Amino acid sequence: MSVRKRKKRTTQEYEDAELNIMPFIDVFSVLNTFLLTSAAFVTLGVIKVQIPFFTNSEDQSKPTRTLEVKVDAQKDQIVLDTSYSMAPVQANKKTFPSDERGIASLHEALVRIRTDSKDTDLVTFYTDDDVTYEQVVKILDAIKLRKENDPVFSIDQKGDGNNAELIDRVFVFPKVVMGSVIL
Amino acid sequence: MASVGSSNKESVSLNIMPMMDVFSILITFLLISYSSDPVMVDPKQGLELPGSMTLVGLDEIPAIAVTKTEIFVNDNRVADVVGGDVPESQRSQGAIQSVYDELIKLKEINDRLAEAQGKKPKLGSLVMEMDKAHVFKLVKRVMISAQQAEFVTFKLMVDKQSE
Repeated sequence: MSVRKRKKRTTQEYEDAELNIMPFIDVFSVLNTFLLTSAAFVTLGVIKVQIPFFTNSEDQSKPTRTLEVKVDAQKDQIVLDTSYSMAPVQANKKTFPSDERGIASLHEALVRIRTDSKDTDLVTFYTDDDVTYEQVVKILDAIKLRKENDPVFSIDQKGDGNNAELIDRVFVFPKVVMGSVIL
Repeated sequence: MASVGSSNKESVSLNIMPMMDVFSILITFLLISYSSDPVMVDPKQGLELPGSMTLVGLDEIPAIAVTKTEIFVNDNRVADVVGGDVPESQRSQGAIQSVYDELIKLKEINDRLAEAQGKKPKLGSLVMEMDKAHVFKLVKRVMISAQQAEFVTFKLMVDKQSE
């Protein structure tokens, strides 16, 4: 009899049981507030460039005929210059307006150059003093970054091992030297 | 569960499950974005970064910050920017003297660290954040100052945008 009574009471207790989720909500609220206040809603990236540097060490490499690509950003226009380092020089010059469409055309021209001359992976970028930093970054994007419809270029990145495939997918010209940064 | 007891003893309960769902999703999203960013940096106040399609994420804390009015090296204010350029009194041969002084100290520390690790000192790399409204003349001054201190690779910090 007593056993039966105990069983009944236990069943009754279970029926009334309710999970108290208030502490759980408290923790969630605090965590949410903390994460929202500390979250960075601007996604930051980087564009890597190099500046010229002179050394006293002798250049041991043999001179070869390579294509030199130069981009000159001026206030109103962008000039794309290509020439070979040895004869026949085959110098070529193209001018683009410095608006969105001009920058897109510059990118297309650079993709064509890269397709024709697969060994060239460096662009020397000259900039006039009065060009804004925003414009400089836009042109750097056009020089460096591969767009969705562009072909994939194989880039020989010594020491980059696992990143080689990523570099191929991301860049048109991975190396940019800021030619204007000279005393 | 929240309930309101009144004289007629009717119990009203608030369904907080949808709120819990939203909270859970939000927290999951925030925790993932928090842990996937290798470096969490807030751009300096009043500094507007240029937009870029780059896929390369920020992997170091910026060493040089050029706002509309000041230049910082490792969060130390080293020079002023007046009318988009550094005042002549703070310049030397086209470079910014104080930026060079700070960077040469940084270079010495890096060299000593490399020596202690048994490595050869190499040319330095810097992350730079700069306001998009500045002209290249100022960018060049900062870069020349760094060049003199043997920093030759720059990572220009940008606001990543999608196509």
